[in-house]
Amino acid sequence: MEIIEKIKTNKSIANQTEIQKICLDKLQSSPLPNPKSEQWRLSNKSKLSNFLDYSVNEKDPKFDTPFPNTSQSTVRLVIGDNCQINLIKENYSIKQLSENKLVKYIKEQISCFDQNENWSDLLNLSLNCTKNTLGLKISGSQIPPIEIFSHASSNSLNAKTLIIFLEKNCNIDLLQVNLGKDNSSLSQSTFFCLEENSSLNHGVVSYGENKSNLLNSLNIIQQKNSEYNLGSLHFKFNYARFEIRIKQSEGNAKTNIKGMQITKKDEQISTYTKIDFHGPNGFLDQINKSLADDKSHAIFEGSIIVPKIAQKTNASQLSRNLLLSNLAQIDTKPQLEIIADDVKCKHGATISQLNEEELFYMRTRGITLTEASKLQLSSYFQEIISFIPVSKDNWDLLDKLLNEN
Amino acid sequence: MVKENLVKDVVKEPYKYGFVTDIETEKIAKGLNEDIIRLISQKKEEPKYLLDFRLKAFKKWQKMKEPDWAGLGYRQIDYQDIIYYSAPKQKEKISSLDEVDPKLLETFDKLGIPLTEQKKLTNVAVDAVFDSVSIATTFREELAEHGVIFCSISEAVKNHSDLIEKYLGTVVPASDNYFAALNSAVFSDGSFVYIPKGVTCPMDLSSYFRINSGDSGQFERTLIIAEESSSVSYLEGCTAPMFDTNTLHAAVVELIALDDASIKYSTVQNWYAGDEEGIGGIFNFVTKRGKCLGKRSKISWSQVETGSAITWKYPSCLLLGEESVGEFYSVALTNNLQQADTGTKMIHIGPKTKSTIVSKGISAGNSINSYRGLVKMGTKAKGSRNYSQCDSMLIGDQASANTFPYIKSQQPNSEIEHEASTCRISEDQLFYLQSRGIEFEEAVSMMVSGFCRDVFNQLPMEFAAEADKLLALKLEGSVG
Repeated sequence: MEIIEKIKTNKSIANQTEIQKICLDKLQSSPLPNPKSEQWRLSNKSKLSNFLDYSVNEKDPKFDTPFPNTSQSTVRLVIGDNCQINLIKENYSIKQLSENKLVKYIKEQISCFDQNENWSDLLNLSLNCTKNTLGLKISGSQIPPIEIFSHASSNSLNAKTLIIFLEKNCNIDLLQVNLGKDNSSLSQSTFFCLEENSSLNHGVVSYGENKSNLLNSLNIIQQKNSEYNLGSLHFKFNYARFEIRIKQSEGNAKTNIKGMQITKKDEQISTYTKIDFHGPNGFLDQINKSLADDKSHAIFEGSIIVPKIAQKTNASQLSRNLLLSNLAQIDTKPQLEIIADDVKCKHGATISQLNEEELFYMRTRGITLTEASKLQLSSYFQEIISFIPVSKDNWDLLDKLLNEN
Repeated sequence: MVKENLVKDVVKEPYKYGFVTDIETEKIAKGLNEDIIRLISQKKEEPKYLLDFRLKAFKKWQKMKEPDWAGLGYRQIDYQDIIYYSAPKQKEKISSLDEVDPKLLETFDKLGIPLTEQKKLTNVAVDAVFDSVSIATTFREELAEHGVIFCSISEAVKNHSDLIEKYLGTVVPASDNYFAALNSAVFSDGSFVYIPKGVTCPMDLSSYFRINSGDSGQFERTLIIAEESSSVSYLEGCTAPMFDTNTLHAAVVELIALDDASIKYSTVQNWYAGDEEGIGGIFNFVTKRGKCLGKRSKISWSQVETGSAITWKYPSCLLLGEESVGEFYSVALTNNLQQADTGTKMIHIGPKTKSTIVSKGISAGNSINSYRGLVKMGTKAKGSRNYSQCDSMLIGDQASANTFPYIKSQQPNSEIEHEASTCRISEDQLFYLQSRGIEFEEAVSMMVSGFCRDVFNQLPMEFAAEADKLLALKLEGSVG
């Protein structure tokens, strides 16, 4: 755990920015998350420490995106690749946030951090330099789809930060792609602020290669009448953790989340979500799917918090899991913490294998077992994948997943 | 429209078992150390293996830390300020109930417990535990005819030492958790049941726990063994007087079911819950666990939790035997400042095991009611199934209802289903009932009763009536 040693002795970064100083100060006394909470999160400690084994690399090699940008209208940005953007069109504008504004916003965020819960954000911000931070302010309508890439390079740890403000009445599709490389660790922290009446269709697709690790943290603040739709997909990571924290700051907001994680070999991928309703009439519909094969371990932990103020909240959370091997393991923990009385909240969880009756039926119709399982899996995946705002021409995620499995 | 204060009034009902019996008791000094444990053991004339068991547990307890993961808010317990042994003074040996102090009998009469022989008709054998000791067990001869052993655990230590030595601590080891270790060190009394091979227990067995003194803790231990192809239904009831201090109740219950045996364990817990300000009340920190050792064995827990300032208990099943079955049916009602953190653990180890969980939580006032449960499928639990359902009902906007299910699976050929929901009493339904001429309070009571129906159906007859009454008492009464 090279990184932690360096943080302890404060030798990690030479010319520290203001933000880095604040975060390093906070981390110095306790540079690792509370072991007790990690135990509850069921983290594999050796994998977590493996994440921290690499040293920070600030000089990224040139990055080649995995597929060409065929559509002229799509805005494509790569964090850390000296990306500059300042688009001002008739209907909309995408502007880069000034450094002052960025620093101010991050400082505000840090002040509400919980050392334990936001550990991955603190680590990210303490290791990240200005170059690897992308801040955008988006306004208007009829905005072209945006693709944002984050990537790690081999044998190093990369920290990338993305901050986006969606101004009032703004409406966009945004796909975020996190790519891991051989023996690498990627720390990605994302902050979104959705102002009134704005709507965001957000896709997160993360996949790695051999022995890549990922700490992906997503912080969303939704103001009233905003709508946030998230489709996420995580696969092929030695260790990956996806943390989602959503706060409906004034209620009256809508959140839809559909996420999936696929683990094979001895991988461990986990998703933790925390949805905080801070006002009345909030809405949440969440589904999380896991598929665990070989000796892998998939974890889901979701909490829904409904304080007294959040009357008339309507929240549902469903965790569906497929366990495909005798040595694989699935843990799921959907949680409800409710104080408001006039609410409708429910959650459900299932763990099973592929439906044998359906397989049998298909086989009686002359479909081979492999084909039949593929068909079942594709319907299992399809619900999530169709929710990810991604152009099909560029990326056929379903084919990619089915070929992998 | 439901008026907030009406609902609040409805859930207010004073505790009616809060009287204290003025009876001479024998107490030992406050505090906990090795000498106290030796003294308890000596008073109960225990064999050496049991003293060693206690001392070993005490050593382990000293090294353990009080758990805080449940996030329950209560003041620090001073374990040196508790009396660990308190017994009503009475003649050396009692041969029949006539020799029991009439005051004691009166107490149990007041509580509605059929202790005296006249009440034979109810056909329930009772073991009554008053503070630290068991004072009477009824119907022993009739039970003995069938080979059923039903007595206090201290008697079992004397008369059936081999069974105690073989089974005590095998389901809940002394080092299992903080309160189980404390119980193992200082347990004073409790019930012991042994059902021999092939016997269906001719009557329901029941034990009644009564805490009488305010400064002594109650640490009872229950051990039930059901041999091959036997079956038993066991009921447990609890009450305590009103004191403005908190009393600790840390019990351990161990159930063992061998091949084809079935045990049904029902509890109606109505310890004193403290007053509206949350002063006083029992801390009910209990470890209950059953082991389905044999093939096709079955353990079923049903509970109605209405009392205690704090309840912290998870009746669990270890499903080891092939095709064994675990069940958990629970109603937990909290009011005022009560806190309940309750649920179950279903650990599927053997193949083709099945478990069902039905939990209903009702929170009113400023109370906190949490369901916390674990369902685990081990690697060998091929073809196993679980179904869980947790529903919560909120009355008033100050109460909180939480659900924390932990689900773990390591066996692909198994199925787990869990569902949970939270709601409040539906205004439409209330309006409908009222429009049909049903009083508001009765309508609320009907709806709560309907909400709990799935669980009440699982309770034995005597308890089903008592449970309905208990909920009605807590929820009815004061609407003018």
